[in-house]
Amino acid sequence: MTGTIMLEATGLTRHFGGFCALNNVNLSVRKGEIRGLIGSNGAGKSTCMDVLTGRGRNLQGKIVLDGHDISKLSERERRRAGMARSFQKTNIFPELKIREQVMLAARMAETDNTDEILSELSLDTIADQPGSEVSYGDQRRVDLALALVGKPKVLLLDEPAAGLTIEESLTMARHLKSLSDRHSLTVLIVEHDMEVIFSVCDNLTVLHLGEVLTEGQPEAVRSDPEVVRAYLGSTFA
Amino acid sequence: MGMLIQVLNGLVYGGLLYVVSVGLVLIFGLRRVVNFAHGGFYMLGAYVGFAAGGIFGFWGGLLAAVAALAVIGIALDIVVFRPLQDQDHMVTVLVTFGILLIFEDLIHMVWGPDTISVATPEFLAGVIQIGDTFFPVYRLTVIAVAIAVGLGLTLWLRGSRAGLFVRASSVDPLTTAMQGVDTEKLSMTVVALGTGLAGLSGVIASPLLALSPSMGSTILIESFIVVVIGGLGSFAGAFVAALLIGQVHNLGIVYLPNISSMLPLLLMVAVLIWKPTGFSKGTH
Amino acid sequence: MSDTLTKITTAQTRSDRSPNVLILLAIAVALAGFAVPWMGFSRSFLSLLTSACATALLATGVGFLVRQAGLTSFGHAAYFGGSAYLVVLLSVHTGMPGEAIVILAPIVATVAAFGIAFVMLRTEGVAFSMLSLAVAQALYELMMRWRDIANGEDGLAMQLPRELFGTTLSVFQRPGSMFLISWTILVVVIILLTLLSRSNFGTLTIAIKNNEERARFIGYRTLIPRALVIAISGAIAALGGTLFALYNGYVTPGILHWSLSGEAIIIAIIGGTRSLWGPAVGAFVFVILRDVAGDYTTHWQSIVGLVLITVVLLLPEGLSGLISRSLERIWRKTV
Repeated sequence: MTGTIMLEATGLTRHFGGFCALNNVNLSVRKGEIRGLIGSNGAGKSTCMDVLTGRGRNLQGKIVLDGHDISKLSERERRRAGMARSFQKTNIFPELKIREQVMLAARMAETDNTDEILSELSLDTIADQPGSEVSYGDQRRVDLALALVGKPKVLLLDEPAAGLTIEESLTMARHLKSLSDRHSLTVLIVEHDMEVIFSVCDNLTVLHLGEVLTEGQPEAVRSDPEVVRAYLGSTFA
Repeated sequence: MGMLIQVLNGLVYGGLLYVVSVGLVLIFGLRRVVNFAHGGFYMLGAYVGFAAGGIFGFWGGLLAAVAALAVIGIALDIVVFRPLQDQDHMVTVLVTFGILLIFEDLIHMVWGPDTISVATPEFLAGVIQIGDTFFPVYRLTVIAVAIAVGLGLTLWLRGSRAGLFVRASSVDPLTTAMQGVDTEKLSMTVVALGTGLAGLSGVIASPLLALSPSMGSTILIESFIVVVIGGLGSFAGAFVAALLIGQVHNLGIVYLPNISSMLPLLLMVAVLIWKPTGFSKGTH
Repeated sequence: MSDTLTKITTAQTRSDRSPNVLILLAIAVALAGFAVPWMGFSRSFLSLLTSACATALLATGVGFLVRQAGLTSFGHAAYFGGSAYLVVLLSVHTGMPGEAIVILAPIVATVAAFGIAFVMLRTEGVAFSMLSLAVAQALYELMMRWRDIANGEDGLAMQLPRELFGTTLSVFQRPGSMFLISWTILVVVIILLTLLSRSNFGTLTIAIKNNEERARFIGYRTLIPRALVIAISGAIAALGGTLFALYNGYVTPGILHWSLSGEAIIIAIIGGTRSLWGPAVGAFVFVILRDVAGDYTTHWQSIVGLVLITVVLLLPEGLSGLISRSLERIWRKTV
C-alpha cells in the first residue's frame, strides 16, 4: 500500500498501577488505509485507542497526525487537529435531536457535510428524533456519524459493531467500506467481530498482552501460527 | 491553661459534630444519599429526649430518643431510600429536604418557637479540676461518648462481617450486592444506626446548646462540612474533619469572633477546590 | 440518568410539536400581565404580585441552571441577596448615582458568579449543591457579622436619591408601576432565554450536560460554556435581587440565607424546569398560595415539604409540564 503516512505512533505505553496494559506499541497507518486492530480480551486494544485519542492519564508515546505532533494535545485539540473517534459504549447526546447533534459535531470540524453523512448512514428518516428515543442500532450509527462528520483526517472506531445483530453489523461494515472508498478515509478500527474485520480492513495489527504480535494483510495474519496460538479457543479460524 | 480549656472545648464540639456526622457518612456510604433530613433527626432526638426525660429521667429519655430515631430510620429506608435507589441521587436528596421542612414545622408546632434550655443530668453535673482550672464533667463525658462511638464503629466495621460489607458497600455497592449479601437488610440496619446516632447526638447536645426549632439547620450545615472535608463516605476522614472543625469553630469564636462562623465554610470551600473528594482517598 | 431526574432536567424537545397554542398562550399571558394594575386588585395583592416577580426571576435563574447544566444550586440566594445588598450598600456608603448603582449591582453579581463558577465546576452532582450552599452561607455569615457596613441582623435601608432613570424613585416603590417594570423585565428575560436555548450555545450546553466527555471529543471546550450558564443563571437571580431592593428599600440577611435558596429550588421544581417559564409560574403560584394559606394554617412549611415530595415523585415535569401536556391534548382534539 502506498501513500503518505497519516498516523504514526511510536512507543505507546500505559501503566495502571503496577500493571502494564500497553508496552511500547508502534503503529503506522497510511492515508486511505483501513487498519484493523485485533487481539484477545485484555490485549490492550481499547487502551491503545485511549492512548491515541488522549483519553485518561499516564499516557506515554509519540503520536504524529499528518505530520503534526499531537502527543501533548488534549482530546478536544486532537479532534480539532483531525483525529475523531467513536466509542465502544454508545456515547451520544440523549436530549438533542439527531440532526442537531451531528450538526454540532460538524460545526467544530472542517466542513459541514451533515446531510450527506445522515443519508449515508440511513439516519435521515429519524433525524428529528432525540437521541434517547431511537433504537440501539440507530444510536450506534449516530455515534459513528458524530465521529465521521466533518471529514476527519483519521477516524478511530472502538468496536463499532458492539451489541449489533449480525445483520446490523454487516450493514454497518458495508456503510464503512463505501464511505471509506468514497472519501478515502484513514481508519483504525478495533473490533472483535471478525466478519466485520475481514470485510473491511486492508491490513491488520494484532495485539497480545499489550504488545504488537504481528502485522500484515488479513489472510496472512489469519493463517499465522503464532496468531492462532494466541487466539486459542476463540472463534478466529 | 487557658489554651488547654480552649482545646478541650474544641474537642467537645468536635466530638458532638462527629457523632452527628458519622450518621450521615453511614447513610451516604450505603445509600449514596446526602440526607438533608439528618438535621431534623438530630433535632427530633433532642426534643424527644427532653420530653421523655421529663417523665422517665435522663436514661429513659436517651433510650426513647435513640429508639424513636432508629424506628424512623427503618421507615425512611423502606419508604424512601429503597424504592428510589435506582433513581438519580438528587431525587432522594430533594425528598429528604422535603422531610426536613416537615420535621421542622412539626417540632415547631409541638414545642413552640422558643428556645428551651435543658439541665445537665445530675450525675454528670459538677466540675473536675484540671491543673488550676475547672472543667465541667458533662463536657468531658461528651468527648468520652464521641470516642466510644468512634471506637465502637471502628471495631464493628473492621471486626464484624456486617461491618466488612458496609465498608465494601461504601466503596463498591454493585459488586457487594452481587456477592449475595442481603444489602437491603444491611442498608436498613445501617440507616437505622445512622439515624439513631443522630438522635443520640441530639440528646447529648441539649444541655450544651439548648433546644430550638432552628438547631437542626445549624448543625446540618456544619455536619455537611465535616462529611465533605472528611471525604464523602470516609469514617476516619469524618473523625479527623470533625475534630478539625470543632477546633476551628471554638478557636474562631475566641480569637476571630467576626468571622468565626465563616471559617468552617471557607475551609470546606478550600478543601473542595484543592481536592474535590475531600481529605480521604475516596473514589467519589 | 434516572427516569425521574431526566424528566425534571430534560430540556423540552417536544416544544416544536404544538408550537402555536403554547406561543399564543404565552403572548396572551404576557399581554394580560401588562393589564394587571388595572384589573381592580387590592393594593396588597398587587404588592404581592410585584414581589412575586422578583421571586420569579430568582426561580427562573435556578431553574435555568438545572435545565441547561443539570446542576442544582442551593446557593442562589447569594446572587439574589448579594445584588440586593450591593444596591443598598452602595447607596448608603458611596455617593454613586442611583442609575449606576442599579446597573452595577447585577453586573458585579454576574461577574462574581462567573468567577466562582470555575471553582464550583470542580465538583458535580450533590457535591456541587453542597459547595453552592457553603459559599452562599459564607456570604450570609459575612453580612451578619460585618455590622459596621451591613448592620447585621437588623438589616439596612436603601438611600437612593429621589430621581432615578429620569423618573421619581417612588415609581419603583408603588405596586402598580413597579409591577409593570418587574413584569417587563421578567418577560424580556424569558424571551431572551428562549432565544438563547435555541441558539448554538443552547445546543452546546445541553450536549455538555448530557455527555461532557463526548462534547470534548467532538472538539468543544466544556468548562467555559458551563461557567457561562452559571453566570447567566446568577445574572437573572441578581436582577430579581435588584428589583427586590428597589421595591422594598430595605435588606435583611434573610435574603442571603440558604433557606431562600432552598425555597427557590422548590419553586423551580414545582413549576417545572423542563421549560424556561416553568419556574416563573411556580413562583406566582407559590407566593399567592403562601399568602392565602397564611389565613388558614400555620403549617405552610409542612405543606411545601409535602408538595415538593409529591412533585418530585409523581409529577416530575412540574406544573409547566402539566400545562403543556394539557394544551397539547386540547389542541389535538380541536384540530
